[in-house]
Amino acid sequence: MAGTQATADTGALRAGPGRSRGVSETALGRLFVTPAILLMAAVALFPVIYAFVVSLRAYTGRQYEGFAGLDNYTEALQDDEFWASLEFTFVFTVTSVAAEFAIGLGFALLMNQAFRGRGVTRAAILVPWVIPTVIAAQMWFFMFNVNPGSVNALLGLGDFNWLGEAGWVKAVIIFADVWKTAPFVALLLLAGLQTIPTDIYESARVDGANALQRFWHITLPLLRPAILVALLFRTVEALRVYDLPQVMTGGAFETESLSMVVQQYVVLTPDPGLGSALSTITFVIILGVGVIFVSLLGRELTIGRTGR
Amino acid sequence: MRRTKDLGKWIIATAAGSLVLAAACTPSSDDDEGESGGGELVWAIGGAEAQPGGVHERIAQLWSEENPDTPIRIEVLPDEADLQREQQVHVLQSGSDEFDVLGMDVIWTGEYAGNGWLESLEDVRDQIEPEVLEGAFGSAESGGELWAAPYNTNASFLYYRTDLVDQPPETWQELCDIATQVGGQEDIGGLIGQGSKYEGFVVNWLEYYWSAGGELYNDDQSEVEFDTETATQATEFMQEAMESGCYAPGFNTATEEEARNAFQTGKTVFMRNWPYCYQLIKDEGVPEVANNFDIAPLPTFTGDGTISALGGFNNAVSAHSSNKDAAKEFVVWASTTPEVQRMLATQASVPPVMTSVYDELKSDPEMALLAQILPESKPRPAVPEWNTLSDTMQDEFFPAYNGDGDPADAAEAVREEFDASVED
Repeated sequence: MAGTQATADTGALRAGPGRSRGVSETALGRLFVTPAILLMAAVALFPVIYAFVVSLRAYTGRQYEGFAGLDNYTEALQDDEFWASLEFTFVFTVTSVAAEFAIGLGFALLMNQAFRGRGVTRAAILVPWVIPTVIAAQMWFFMFNVNPGSVNALLGLGDFNWLGEAGWVKAVIIFADVWKTAPFVALLLLAGLQTIPTDIYESARVDGANALQRFWHITLPLLRPAILVALLFRTVEALRVYDLPQVMTGGAFETESLSMVVQQYVVLTPDPGLGSALSTITFVIILGVGVIFVSLLGRELTIGRTGR
Repeated sequence: MRRTKDLGKWIIATAAGSLVLAAACTPSSDDDEGESGGGELVWAIGGAEAQPGGVHERIAQLWSEENPDTPIRIEVLPDEADLQREQQVHVLQSGSDEFDVLGMDVIWTGEYAGNGWLESLEDVRDQIEPEVLEGAFGSAESGGELWAAPYNTNASFLYYRTDLVDQPPETWQELCDIATQVGGQEDIGGLIGQGSKYEGFVVNWLEYYWSAGGELYNDDQSEVEFDTETATQATEFMQEAMESGCYAPGFNTATEEEARNAFQTGKTVFMRNWPYCYQLIKDEGVPEVANNFDIAPLPTFTGDGTISALGGFNNAVSAHSSNKDAAKEFVVWASTTPEVQRMLATQASVPPVMTSVYDELKSDPEMALLAQILPESKPRPAVPEWNTLSDTMQDEFFPAYNGDGDPADAAEAVREEFDASVED
């Protein structure tokens, strides 16, 4: 390993195994990664920090009025609209991620089997995922809306107002989201399934385990990292949902998501201080959820430091 | 051996890196044209007619032919009004001189003027005021000062089926009676309008509110005249109409296009919509609708007169423009040249603002009806806070008319928002 190192660094390089004196391999690795980290920090962290700075200022419309301390945060946390959107976003996230996971797992198990037409099935299952969300949302709007009423015609429901009734409209939005992203979960889980060696199943079968036992005691535990990754991705994305409810309902009947409220205060009825405060609160919530998932993943995902 | 392999990788890496750099550093070709001193004006306007082949494009070409020193070109903005506003605000906020003339929806005058983005047109007021409709002119004023030149206007019609209804109704109650009765007989919906939760819903609600005698502000928007009782009455009417079946199914998720689709496929008896639908229904509607419909003024609660919300576009000069004189001449020209205004009416069914054009074209049924209702059309108030007020009205009145809130409480909450808008 060390013998193939280019000797561009200072310090004598002793031919031999292990570390060289001078710059060690780990330090060199850190050195090479630093520019990328700096760039990402500039591009990704700067807006977050700037938003926080702006959230400490008071504005009337777009005019800067002075320092406001945490006033914007108290205003945001007392706003009914914010809490309503938080409730909807959580309900949406929990329901849609659970449904996507169940359906995605089913698809993954299906796609993992060898059968005729497997390639076509895999491609067909992926189609919803590749359609841009906005277009899919518009399409589902046209299908569920009373005019022209495609879904109603198909199910013989007459004039049922899917998008105009408080409870049903949430179900429709969740349905559209599950339709679109279950394939993504299926893909992630399929990748995980394919890392499970088949001889484990063989020996389990020899020992007399039936399909359900094999699934519960072998598949699920070995799939744990992939499951957690899929759940992490989907949960964080579902918490940020914007285009689906915006296009399908415009936020009517309490289907306004967190991102929609932020967007409203940044663009439509601008108050940069309040908008930035809401944005920062959203960021903190999503970061918190992400951190929980990552800690659950634990060491499962880190590549062995010493190649173990 | 290893050396050449490394060298190959370095060459590829350098080539890829320089490609990326070159792409990132290429100046966009748009930036250099139309800048100060060049004499070319940029007109930022959106919608179907701003596309190549549309009437706004032809008007721009007409100006450029007549004024070769200061030609004008259109910067096409998106179709939706909210997205057009976003683009314009983006440029105006940054102080850029990219846009000289702004095609503004009538409700943005207050906001843009309040933010100091517009050039005052007080010095050309006398050239414009006598020529154009009063309502349209009012929508270009804010706080008593003129900020834009009216370009086209819009008022809404009641579309109805002539094979199902003999006489267009004159009161809302009459309309609902006919709607439920005839709709029940024919097994179709009654009235479709724009009831989805967006600005169009506020327009519909205001038409009920105004036709019950309600007002929002006094003349220069310094005092609030919003009346909670009238507002409650309007909202309760909408609520009853939803429950009784006067409103067609899908009323509360419909925007202009959904309403047009429902009416022109024969699914409703009445429709409230803008004039642009007239020609489209004739062209695209099912035969039994296309041959059996007509337009009428909207009814009121009292039966006297009519009321309509005023829409349309005004042309304004950007305060950051580097060619303000030419831009001012253009906006005045577009407002007060008979040829231009006639083009809007005859080539695109876009209602013009010049009063003389209405006299010329009074044989056209749409123009005749417009001439009748435009003097009775009311603009939404030109206050900078209009977006906030509209958003509050949507948040309060939408659930209320769907049976999910108390109309009186909603009216109170909206009144509070209006009061807050005059506080500073």
